[in-house]
Amino acid sequence: MNGVDLIKACSAIGAGLAMIAGIGPGIGQGYAAGKGAEGVGRQPEAQGDIVRTMLLGAAVAETTGIYGLIVALILLFANPFF
Amino acid sequence: MNFVEQFFDWLLSFDKETLIYAASAIGAGLAMIAGIGPGVGQGYAAGKGAEAVGLNPKGSKQSTMVMLLGAAVAETSGILALVVAIILLYGNPIVNVQGASIILAASAIGAGFSMIAGIGPGIGQGYAAGKATEAVGRRPKLHSAVVRTMFLGQAVAQTTGIYALIIALVLMFANPFIR
Repeated sequence: MNGVDLIKACSAIGAGLAMIAGIGPGIGQGYAAGKGAEGVGRQPEAQGDIVRTMLLGAAVAETTGIYGLIVALILLFANPFF
Repeated sequence: MNFVEQFFDWLLSFDKETLIYAASAIGAGLAMIAGIGPGVGQGYAAGKGAEAVGLNPKGSKQSTMVMLLGAAVAETSGILALVVAIILLYGNPIVNVQGASIILAASAIGAGFSMIAGIGPGIGQGYAAGKATEAVGRRPKLHSAVVRTMFLGQAVAQTTGIYALIIALVLMFANPFIR
């Protein structure tokens, strides 16, 4: 086994670890969706406003998941170490 | 010879640069785990925003504004983790340091571990943002007082994230184990 192989193996581990970040947006956006459904159930006429606010917030909550994905993709396909 | 000794002998059979790059790859992955925090927190804020708009559709603008302000603050620890990961990947300062390769490699992993602390501020600040959104949705006129209190609390919640960043930067740029 040579050095590049070790870096590749550790990059695979690192890419997997980075994606653990996906836990957060999943939980958070699920909570947002739940509250959105609750709001629409209580005030059906405000559905447009509620869904807009919910999607805006969920888009912000998505960002860290995308950061994790970017770092994982860099490690897999554009690895700066070799 | 036991397994641990064999493992370290195997690690030390690689040259220094290889070992540090391998450890940096793991460290960058570990740092990004911090993304859990902002994700949970901002999602909570988004939920509270939807709830507030549902309860008081007229205050929709103010509620959404406060939600976005709070979510932006909650994002910081995710960005700090991203910065540490990018430094490890593209501006690795550890490779140029003279010293035992095993210590330098472990420092790269440690810097990544340290940034996991970002989970806490992310969740906490997101909770504050959600509660502030709820309050503004109920009484839009108190908008500025609520936002001030929210920012104050979020600033305190950020401290442990900053401690983690300091430790990560010390491990990367001013390693005390290498003299």
